Amino acid sequence: MSSPRKDSRVTYFGVRHHGPGSARQLLDALESLQPEAVLIEGPSDASPLIDYLADDAMKPPVALLCYPKDTPSDAAFWPFAVFSPEYQAARWALANGRPVRFIDLPFAARFPDDPTSEDGSNDTEDPSSPEGTGEENVPLIRDPIGALADAAGYEDGESWWSDIIEENPSPGPVFEAIGDAMTALREGEAEIPKREMRREAHMRLEIAAALKEFEGAIAVVCGAWHVPALRAAGSRANDRQILKGMKKQKLAATWAPWTSARLAFSRGYGAGVAAPGWCLHIWQCHDHGQVATRWLARIAATLRARGHIAPTASLIEAERLAITLAAIRERPNPGFEELRDAAVACLFHGEASLWNLISDELLIGWQIGEIPNDMPLAPLLEDLQRQQKATRLKPEELERELSVDLRSESGLARSTLLHRLNILDVPWGTLADAGRSRGTFREKWALEWNPEYSVRLVENLVYGPTIEKAAASRLADRLKKAETLSAAATGVYDAITANLDEAVATGLEVLEEKSALASDCLDILRTLPPLGDTIRYGHARSTALGSLPGLMARLVTSCAVELDYAGRDLDADASGAFAGALRGADAAVRLVQFGDAIEEHWRQGLERLVDGRQTSPMVRGKATQLLYEAGDISGEDIASLLARHLSPGTAVADAAAFFEGFFDGIAPRLIHDAPLRESVDEWICGLDDEAFTASLPLLRRVFSNLDRMERRRMLDAMIGRRGDGPSGLVPVPGRADVWELQMATLNDLFENGGRRP
Amino acid sequence: MTDTLRLPAEAAFAAELEALKTGDDSQKPNGWVLSPKAVLTYLVGGKAADGTQITPKYIGNRRLMETAVATLATDRALLLLGVPGTAKSWVSEHLAAAIAGDSTKIIQCTAGTDENQVRYGWNYAQLLAKGPSAEALVPTPLYRAMETGSLCRLEELTRMGSDVQDTLITVLSEKMMPIPELNSAVYASRGFNVIATANNRDKGVNELSSALKRRFNVVVLPLPDSMDQEIEIVSRRVDEMAVSLDLPVPKNVSEEIARVLTIFRELRGGTTGDGKVTLKTPSGSLSTAEAIATVIGGLSQAAWFDGGKLTPESLSPNMIGAIVKDPVQDKVVLEEYLEIVLKKRGDYAAYYAALTEHL
Repeated sequence: MSSPRKDSRVTYFGVRHHGPGSARQLLDALESLQPEAVLIEGPSDASPLIDYLADDAMKPPVALLCYPKDTPSDAAFWPFAVFSPEYQAARWALANGRPVRFIDLPFAARFPDDPTSEDGSNDTEDPSSPEGTGEENVPLIRDPIGALADAAGYEDGESWWSDIIEENPSPGPVFEAIGDAMTALREGEAEIPKREMRREAHMRLEIAAALKEFEGAIAVVCGAWHVPALRAAGSRANDRQILKGMKKQKLAATWAPWTSARLAFSRGYGAGVAAPGWCLHIWQCHDHGQVATRWLARIAATLRARGHIAPTASLIEAERLAITLAAIRERPNPGFEELRDAAVACLFHGEASLWNLISDELLIGWQIGEIPNDMPLAPLLEDLQRQQKATRLKPEELERELSVDLRSESGLARSTLLHRLNILDVPWGTLADAGRSRGTFREKWALEWNPEYSVRLVENLVYGPTIEKAAASRLADRLKKAETLSAAATGVYDAITANLDEAVATGLEVLEEKSALASDCLDILRTLPPLGDTIRYGHARSTALGSLPGLMARLVTSCAVELDYAGRDLDADASGAFAGALRGADAAVRLVQFGDAIEEHWRQGLERLVDGRQTSPMVRGKATQLLYEAGDISGEDIASLLARHLSPGTAVADAAAFFEGFFDGIAPRLIHDAPLRESVDEWICGLDDEAFTASLPLLRRVFSNLDRMERRRMLDAMIGRRGDGPSGLVPVPGRADVWELQMATLNDLFENGGRRP
Repeated sequence: MTDTLRLPAEAAFAAELEALKTGDDSQKPNGWVLSPKAVLTYLVGGKAADGTQITPKYIGNRRLMETAVATLATDRALLLLGVPGTAKSWVSEHLAAAIAGDSTKIIQCTAGTDENQVRYGWNYAQLLAKGPSAEALVPTPLYRAMETGSLCRLEELTRMGSDVQDTLITVLSEKMMPIPELNSAVYASRGFNVIATANNRDKGVNELSSALKRRFNVVVLPLPDSMDQEIEIVSRRVDEMAVSLDLPVPKNVSEEIARVLTIFRELRGGTTGDGKVTLKTPSGSLSTAEAIATVIGGLSQAAWFDGGKLTPESLSPNMIGAIVKDPVQDKVVLEEYLEIVLKKRGDYAAYYAALTEHL
């Protein structure tokens, strides 16, 4: 970089990516400059796509999406919001019929010393970084205006920009001043990354080419950071030397819808802004002014929509406070920090948490972009076709069954694809035996393709360029919005079955957070079975589960501590639900095999349920059953336990509920468990008539779960046909005949409730 | 040296206030002794124009102090909310000292505070002798602050009855107080304003009516952000209190303070220090003030009963008292914390054992 280039035909507009202030200034500047051509920082091989921006069906935020033809997972995005200067510059040029093109290094450019590996597994690169790798690591390059603002003590570059730059009435010198500031910033900089050097060399060459091509003025719109380097005159030969060895891959490029959330710096977009919602607001307010008033009105509207009270009088006070705050902080106008502080003090009664509740909606926003229907390429569809070929699955509109074996590679690939499509709301395949085949290696799918699915798939482009990435980020979205712990656990299970490691990681985080906040023991109990399945299934699919076993162990522990509090004083419905959840959770705990310490906790929790005075009887029965089945209660103890809880002193309703809880699901055990049978027999025989009648529906419910065979065997055991029946009973003479009759009556009673059909 | 046990802020920090006043050439709102920027410097610390070092009165989020000062500059009343031990009264006193040069116009609100103590009372001898007259009227601090254009402080606003609280509504919105007995009114001079403090997580308080709440700008003072800051606050207070109570301070007290605070902060914040495990939070506030009381209680126990040794056993009854405010809910929270977190930490084994035993 030696003497400045003398050519006065080129005007450099150093902008702030996604800065509404920049965009507005730029439009004014272009209007007065009337350049013959507009050059924009962006991948030059995607220039033909710029024309689409003129289409009114294209609604920002949208992103330019480029990917190597054969590896769509290496895609990169260049997002544009309505307030992005680049977008506005392109729109201006298209509306005024001026040539417009991108001048940055082609996306498809590859250099011999590129770290990009040949095997195409370069997916560590942040897909949403618009300017490739490297830039995000250097804060000055990423957001030089933000860096200047930071130095001046501002929270965001936009406020600084509007304070310092927008106060300036004449736009021309503004960009001149930015160029000078950047020159100062870049003075004495260490060697910049090679990629940056190449990009700047490429841009210089393109500008030179444009100078040859066009007679009149040329506008160059680029990140403020690049202005000094582009202004500097390097010899063209030198620039060509820098670009030596550049090869081009086959490129595919298209526009994709984008979301405002993904413009936000906090959502992992390196070149994003802090508050896209605020940027949009500033952009929209340009014509009417009253930025602060309108922003506060939006805060109030958002609050009211959520059922909070937001009096107009408080808005007036908030605005007054914001203006005073701005004065104390020596700013000409209140920015979103002042408005936030003022709103918290005046509208939210000091509760910052209320602000956090609505800050996403306001500062980030929920806008989703739209692209015209005739957009040439839909990478998701391409990806689907590729995967259909690879898995040898044909989209057919007729329903057909497919059974896959997860142990084989092809089977696993098929299952993964179908699961992922399901996450994307493209239910090409529906799982026939939905989930309940725990631990098996086989899945049964019903396949049916519907042409509408193509449209749905394209809509998913907003989540990512490949089926894998789109499914991952859509599932991550869903997980973040999950309201209950069990919903989050189900999400994690889905992530495992769809083999989406990133979503699994997100899900684990969400679970982690939710697990502590979940105070509902029942919810935790219901969470354990899907978690248990996940852990089992995760092993079958060899997925990295990270901290999941640890998390589940913690959940089991905390749940065990709470069991006896949660199991108290429940009504019939609630205790039924609790008992059911308890059984599922117990199975999950035993399935996963945590080792002694955790299982001991769980056992103690169940024991407290059994011993607790206030435990609801049905829950007590269920806990007793679980402990008994696990062998933690001996045969003698069970008899005395049953005797105690079924004893005459206990209210009949309680005894019955206990009985139901205990026998639900294990009635067949009565057949070969003599002490158990005797305790029950004793209880039933001890009931007076009224109590017996009251218990009949319950007894029926328990014993109707036996099938005919089991019932017969139990009666055999009771009456002692096998000779080990209760002593003191004398067989009725001729009982063989009576027996058949009795059996028929009983079967009828249990199966039809005594009413012959 | 003075005989007064504790001087008001404007006297204790007279030198700092004077230095700020001399060098203060920014615009001042009506009735203010200092400009808002100088008030801010007085609160958060810095340097006066003549180089005098200004000690920070409030250590924490500067933005909150900015909001507080800006609020008073807009003639809106300020309400400082927060759990006990978050320096509400302290901030209120210093704000009044810096803005009005007088922090002594103060009404301590209690359940027994009636309207006569808020608006004005009567000298009954005069009242009986002459009937209602200006001479028979006994002004309250609020009345005087309105007359002189000064600041009135209301301590623990929510402790007085809701009906009494609402007498403030007219004063705050119309800046006047009617005196129907005399068919007159007192109109606030410029510079008059109100700073109130209140607990937002306390029992036995009267909710503010929304009509009144709307007339305040509210600033919530949080508990200290950083562990080090809080350890420093607790250590300093424990030392001071131990001296005044004649309690010997064992050598290991700073380590135990760090452990107690770790447990308090983890429970309060709902996450372990390393951020890996999220926890449930107990119903109590577990404020810095409670940590101080816990450690002092432990010191006392150690000095009188445990032979001067400060051990987890001497601290744990007080810790349980601070944590378990609700016998069912909080007990679960603590049990869970013990099993999930503390049990696995080797250096907390004694705490795990002592807490489990006492629980």
